Amino acid sequence: MTNFLVTIGVGLATAAILALSAVAFTLEYAVSRIANFAHGEFLTIGAYVAYSTQGIFHQNVAAAAAIAAAAGMVAGLLLNTLVIEQFRGRSAITVLIATLGVALVAENVLDMIYGAANVTYSYAQGSLHHVGPFLWTTSDIEVIVSALVVAGLIYLLLQRTRFGKAIRAVSQDRALARVSGIPARRIIMGTWALAGAVAGFAGFALAATIGTFGPLLGFNFLLLTITATVAGGLGRPYATLGGALIVGLAIQIAGTYTSSAYELVFAFLLLVLLMLFRPNGVFVRRSSVTVRA
Amino acid sequence: MYWVSVFTEAAIFAILALGLDVVWGWGGDFDLAFYGYLAIGSYMTFVLSIGKPTPPVEYILGWHLPVLIAIVLAVVVVVCVAAVVGAIALRNLRGIYFAVTTLGAVSALYLLVENYTPLFDGYNGVYGLINPGQTALNLTYNGYRIVFLVIVLVLLFLSYLLVQRLSRSPFGRMVRSVREDERAAAAYGRQIFFTKYRAYLFGAALAGLTGGLFAIFISAFNPSAWTPEELLLIYAAILAGGRGNPRGVILGVFVVYIGFIELTRYLPSPASRPDFGPALRQVLIGLMIILVLRFRPEGIFRERPGLDTGQGPVSRPRQGRVEVLTTPEGQAADDGGPG
Repeated sequence: MTNFLVTIGVGLATAAILALSAVAFTLEYAVSRIANFAHGEFLTIGAYVAYSTQGIFHQNVAAAAAIAAAAGMVAGLLLNTLVIEQFRGRSAITVLIATLGVALVAENVLDMIYGAANVTYSYAQGSLHHVGPFLWTTSDIEVIVSALVVAGLIYLLLQRTRFGKAIRAVSQDRALARVSGIPARRIIMGTWALAGAVAGFAGFALAATIGTFGPLLGFNFLLLTITATVAGGLGRPYATLGGALIVGLAIQIAGTYTSSAYELVFAFLLLVLLMLFRPNGVFVRRSSVTVRA
Repeated sequence: MYWVSVFTEAAIFAILALGLDVVWGWGGDFDLAFYGYLAIGSYMTFVLSIGKPTPPVEYILGWHLPVLIAIVLAVVVVVCVAAVVGAIALRNLRGIYFAVTTLGAVSALYLLVENYTPLFDGYNGVYGLINPGQTALNLTYNGYRIVFLVIVLVLLFLSYLLVQRLSRSPFGRMVRSVREDERAAAAYGRQIFFTKYRAYLFGAALAGLTGGLFAIFISAFNPSAWTPEELLLIYAAILAGGRGNPRGVILGVFVVYIGFIELTRYLPSPASRPDFGPALRQVLIGLMIILVLRFRPEGIFRERPGLDTGQGPVSRPRQGRVEVLTTPEGQAADDGGPG
């Protein structure tokens, strides 16, 4: 039983990073109606920027997190301006292929700068703490707490501010939002900046947790992000948090009882099963309609 | 001999691209699992023909069949796997949902093959199919390579004829009509799922054949041979050549493989960074995908308008020249115009 609870604890730490990444992915989908396959690169860029600046900031966690988020924000703005907006009116699948091209470019540019080999980015993991039934390191706790704070801030932003209200309006109907006087282009731009920043921060958290990473860090995390997003329901930020929790715990439990090498195999089989039985997310009643986007 | 090997590789990938184009170009389904079918075809050809493994190497079966029979059986296995993936992904998932599902399926397969060594020896992969039939045909090494190129080119030509014929057949028009408008096609009595499913299995069969040829060509196969980047390259080739147009697809593969890869082979790589050149090449390929999609999505040769239409104006007006073709038999209304 104790083992099981420790597993759950580790799963929660994974789920926290996954939740950040997935919320960003779902926000991008909500306003632009596209699946951004270059989303993983936001994480990778955040991680590499934190890595490159560690000489300047030493072990200052807050500064490293902030600069990773800022890098992700710039990446989000650039992607939206240079690619996504250029493809407006084209089918979602066309944009998906284009973002896949962007992912290929970004990965290999990073490869050219830093090399294909893994780099080591070490943060002191801190000591072990017993929190209730769980066993966490200091950095685990930091990741979980910061994820909760970011999720809370996003909730307040979406529910309580004019910007958040505009995001919700644009995600429901861009044309109608514009007719009502909402500057849709600027709102979408702002959403991509927000999503990029959250993803960049998630990249920093991921890198700090894993310790070593390479240019494929984000792309390898992308499918897990998509699994969590789909579990919650594409384009639904709050449900996505639940989806991340389910996926994070499920792979941790499955990995513990078989072998950690198969964790991701389970995650992706879970994705396929979700698509088969609950393509609109586990929180929605099953619909028999063909799913297209 | 260098160029013989380059042309052989391009011709093998052209067959793969023809198969993928049936799924993506005609059917409109962006399939990310497709390279997995090449991989299964390749692995199966090995384990069916190279005999028992010697420890510590391990893999399933280890039969000692003639390579031709091995390839045929490999294609059968590939079609069976595609039948499962297709049954899940094609039934009611389209667009990005289809793409995500196939990516999930192929990633699960990839990680399973990489980590579960009793299947295909995990990360090390399988090897040992060295020039099958060379002694039987009494050929020198170079002679064998040339004969193999000729065989691959003949197979490419046969695949082209088959695909071209299929493209103009009622079946080809039906697949396209389903892509254009599922509801209209259904209203005209087309079975949406089965139409897509058959196209998918046909494409997978060609991928399986490609896997077999690839096994003979490179004599070894391991997980690093089928990363997602390889598939993206095939998509780039189809995009550049002309999606939905078999001739364009073949041209695209030769342009991208021979023009692009051979030219960029000479990109500078500092001695300390051997991966610099290949990375730069991937950057250029990524940029090409984005730019072609943005500025010339139809590629060099556009899909022939009118192939998928009956008498009357074409269903979807395209930029520039609009052709109206009638079938020689004059039975267009009977076999699959989208209306």
